[in-house]
Amino acid sequence: MKRRQQGILTGMPFMAHVSSRSFVDDAGRRIYLAKTPSRIISLAPSVTEMLFAIGAGAQVVGVTQFCDYPPEATQRAKLGYGNPNVETLVALQPDLIVAPQEYLKPDLIGKLEQLKIPVFILADRMVEDVFSHIQTFGRMLDHSTEATALGMDLRQQIARIKTRTQGAAPVRVLYVLNSEPLITVGPGSYIDQLIGLAGGINVAAKSATAYPRLSMEVVLHENPDVLLFPVGTAEGISESEQQAWRKWSTLTAVKRNNLRQIPADLLNRPGPRIGKALELLADLFHPSATSLPSESP
Amino acid sequence: MANGHVTPSHLPAPSGDLSTTTPVPSLHEMKSQWHRTGAMLTRRRWGLVLTGLLLVSVGVIALCSQFGAVSVQLADVLAVLRHVLTTGSLDVSSLGTAGVIFLQVRLPRVLMGFLVGGALAAVGVTLQALLRNPLADPYVLGVSSGAALGASLAMLLGIGTTVMLLPLLPLFGFIGGLLALVLIYRLAQSQGRLPIYSLLLAGVILNAILTALIMFITSIMEPNRSAGLMAWLMGSLTAPGYPALAVIVIYVAFVSAVLMHKAQVLNVLTQGEETARSLGIDTERVKKQLYALTALITGAVVSVSGMIGFVGMVVPHAVRMMIGSDHRLLLPASALVGGMFLVVSDTIARTIFAPAEIPVGIVTALAGGPFFLYLLLWRKDRMI
Repeated sequence: MKRRQQGILTGMPFMAHVSSRSFVDDAGRRIYLAKTPSRIISLAPSVTEMLFAIGAGAQVVGVTQFCDYPPEATQRAKLGYGNPNVETLVALQPDLIVAPQEYLKPDLIGKLEQLKIPVFILADRMVEDVFSHIQTFGRMLDHSTEATALGMDLRQQIARIKTRTQGAAPVRVLYVLNSEPLITVGPGSYIDQLIGLAGGINVAAKSATAYPRLSMEVVLHENPDVLLFPVGTAEGISESEQQAWRKWSTLTAVKRNNLRQIPADLLNRPGPRIGKALELLADLFHPSATSLPSESP
Repeated sequence: MANGHVTPSHLPAPSGDLSTTTPVPSLHEMKSQWHRTGAMLTRRRWGLVLTGLLLVSVGVIALCSQFGAVSVQLADVLAVLRHVLTTGSLDVSSLGTAGVIFLQVRLPRVLMGFLVGGALAAVGVTLQALLRNPLADPYVLGVSSGAALGASLAMLLGIGTTVMLLPLLPLFGFIGGLLALVLIYRLAQSQGRLPIYSLLLAGVILNAILTALIMFITSIMEPNRSAGLMAWLMGSLTAPGYPALAVIVIYVAFVSAVLMHKAQVLNVLTQGEETARSLGIDTERVKKQLYALTALITGAVVSVSGMIGFVGMVVPHAVRMMIGSDHRLLLPASALVGGMFLVVSDTIARTIFAPAEIPVGIVTALAGGPFFLYLLLWRKDRMI
């Protein structure tokens, strides 16, 4: 049904040709793009970063209010995050909307389908998915060369970090998403993967969910070497939060004063800055390995 | 009104000089009458029930502090206790990991749970008597929403710094709760009185407005920060330091003492305000005192534990169905049972998916709800 509608709409009844311009998103939906999209709306900061990174920034017309990287992205029309206004959205006359599934309401997808605006949904947000998404966007937006180059560059960065941290002793890490109550990241989350790639061991690795509320007992028992606090651009770890953590003076992280901060947007966005994020993490976990690589065992 | 007591409609309206014209017994007479009708409540029964509950409470606290995400051997616990008793030091560095886990994380959390649960149940009893409404619980007057809004604002503004070593989040919560209380007083008061229905109605509406404001705040926050706020709102017990715990102990003890002192008045108030007034009780003043007390304790509890529902509503009902509705016994018994209920619920919440935890409010609702329904079927006649 959809196939025919799209074919008639675009004046291309030759399905054989259309299929090369067909894409399956993470939700298993198939979308057809008869021509290269030139008015794209990105509904996630990570998507915006990917689009700009493969040189498709000029094709982006709308972003979320949280899309602050690269700086040019802030000059695009702003839509809400998670709950964008459909009228604003339609007024931008997009020919492609890229949106993450977690904040996209089903009725919005239905509405956009009804308006014949193709929506590409991102549901899988792990490290490997960053590469496949970049590839797909490259193919979709006629920036395949840049996308392939970017993908290779990122893989090289990851490989470099892996070799750098390989010999070093593993570092036990607690990622403090929220202190009160304590929420962290577990297996199945992108940040857990990043910690592992940067040579860290997530102390919440045994939890069953991706974003568990972790018991303080477990933290004391697992005894992390580093407490990692995601922070916004202008802020640091708040005084009261630091005080609250320093009271656990048996923790190695507290003894060694390893309460470290990291820009939240670097870790929260599965996108082209993954290399940068891993480098920062590796620097935090293995400070000696950076400055004096020859001395590492 | 779903009230098991005789509605005092047969009593003449208080008209001027009570002492000469009315046949209504004085408060003192009614008191001695209650004492005489021993089947209701004797000193012996009061003592037996409360001693029993107190012993069970100690047992529950001791038992529940054996369970946690990390298993601590009983031998270690005893060693740590001996160490503390001999050295008299609670210093974190001298305890060892097992000691820190038991003494600094688990025990304060269990004790905190007991206090919070007890306070919520006592407040629930008081409000159900005051409002003569079986649905009343600490959250009905909008105080908890006010506290939650205050805390949300603190998080939105990114206030993480401290003022005079006081974390601002609980402080904001407390102020929010108090402001909500003042507002609701102004809204519900008419001609110096505080009619129960306008109070309930104003409470419901204020709750709705405050909840909308909280939702507004979560919707404009960055998604990863609003997750923290939502988790906090869902209610959680965390390990407080012993100084903080001591403050809460004093607070709860003070409020409980005052409430106990007013237990007899609550007995009269459940019979209706007319009756109470005819007995010479300054109902408006008593009501104001009691509301202020409940608001104070609710604000304090919400600011340390977030919103933990169901304890304040279910526990008083369950206890009332089992031991009757004399507030001199009901109030302390509910507090003890409420404390135990929250301690057990929190033990489930922190162990069932260990090492992860679930919000304790989920457990209180899932455990308390069906139990309440069971009691309802078992003893339909003793509601309220």
